[in-house]
Amino acid sequence: MLKTLRGAAVALSLALASQGALAAEVVKVGMSGTYFPFTFVKKDVLQGFEVDLWNEVAKRNDYKVEFVTSNFSGLFGLLESGRIDTISNQITMTDARKAKYLFASPYVVDGAQIVTRKGSDIKGLADLKGKTVAVNLGSNYEQLLREHDKANKINIKTYDTGIEQELMLGRIDAFVMDRVSSAQLIKEHNLPFVQAGDTFETIENAWPMLNNEKGKNLQAELNKALAAMREDGSLSKISQKWFDADITAK
Amino acid sequence: MNFDLNYFFEMIPLLLGYLGLTMKMAVLGLIFALVLAVTMAVVRVFKVPVLDWLVQLFISFFRGTPLLVQLFLLYYGLPQLFPIMVGIDAFTAAVIGLSLHFSAYMAESIRAAIMGIDKSQMEAALSIGQTPLMAMRRIILPQASRIALPSLMNQFVDMIKSTSLAFTLGVAELMARAQMEASSSFRFFEAFLAVALIYWAVVVLFTQVQIRMENRLNRAYQR
Repeated sequence: MLKTLRGAAVALSLALASQGALAAEVVKVGMSGTYFPFTFVKKDVLQGFEVDLWNEVAKRNDYKVEFVTSNFSGLFGLLESGRIDTISNQITMTDARKAKYLFASPYVVDGAQIVTRKGSDIKGLADLKGKTVAVNLGSNYEQLLREHDKANKINIKTYDTGIEQELMLGRIDAFVMDRVSSAQLIKEHNLPFVQAGDTFETIENAWPMLNNEKGKNLQAELNKALAAMREDGSLSKISQKWFDADITAK
Repeated sequence: MNFDLNYFFEMIPLLLGYLGLTMKMAVLGLIFALVLAVTMAVVRVFKVPVLDWLVQLFISFFRGTPLLVQLFLLYYGLPQLFPIMVGIDAFTAAVIGLSLHFSAYMAESIRAAIMGIDKSQMEAALSIGQTPLMAMRRIILPQASRIALPSLMNQFVDMIKSTSLAFTLGVAELMARAQMEASSSFRFFEAFLAVALIYWAVVVLFTQVQIRMENRLNRAYQR
């Protein structure tokens, strides 16, 4: 009797152990839940660009992703104290952060973007000569444009508000804004505008991890998944869904 | 007027679903804070050597620093020194933080109430052979509770509202939900007005409870 019981216990513990090995790895992802359309809650459902990305990563890497929502000011504290494995909230890869954390390869490339009307002949920075280009007050885009316009051929106007109205009316030929915001603006108000050319002065956003063994493994696994998602177009597809534009392309 | 009445009425039942979490934090916080506060008040009244000094230090720190700073220290700071503390989840940390913070205020309210009881009460209890602790428990504290009630309720109301800081630790409570919903709908006024009315209604409810408790405690003093 005792023997059978012991046998059963061994069998049970073996079964439990093998199940443990088979179960998906839990990855805890911190986000604010307050950054539309990246991570937000609508009718009690956490969703957005970041959430879709992680669901796709989870499928590929057999992760069980647990989203932890916290005020933005608490996110790095959660990461530091090991309560989450990474942050998915459009974290910009600054030099200071790169020195301290590991980053997966960037999944969003943002930067200064030229926006013009559909059908315009402006295709990039070089075509701005002799044109009127607007920038928003408080941005450093005028300075950036000047650096690319040594001959002072671009007529730059600074606006406080209403930059899109001016482009619609044709008072300006283009404006410069960051790529992600301009994509959202065009989509949300269904504006007849297009993004012209590549971004300049780019910033890259990625998922940070602690610089330890666990972080290194996660970084390698995430990079593999991201590369595959970039390769087969699913990264771009998720971006198109939320922004009608590919903000993930380099 | 740009006010989406439908959205506002949709938000109320949705947000009410998270009131339970908020109240659980507040009520647990209240229980722990009261136990701690009574203990500290008694220690201070009896001027227990060493302990009195420690309690004074405790009260000075927890009244002297912002609650948000204390929550950050507890949840993000201490695990850096003691890795074992990572095991404390956000909800527990929020309850501990609220208890410690508000117990400091409550201890002073209770001490003030105890000192408001006439000295003759203690002397009479001692003269019939009660020990000081027994007299405190049987004679002084029941009378002091009546005096302390209004200011304790003040602190409890404050504690209910302070639970909104728990989102900084990752507890998705009432206020967090309002913030998250508003961030996608851009209907900030509607969402925050809904959450304000919920907090207010809860506080009004507890004010009614306070009135009943006061009436009950006053019975012995009515002719």
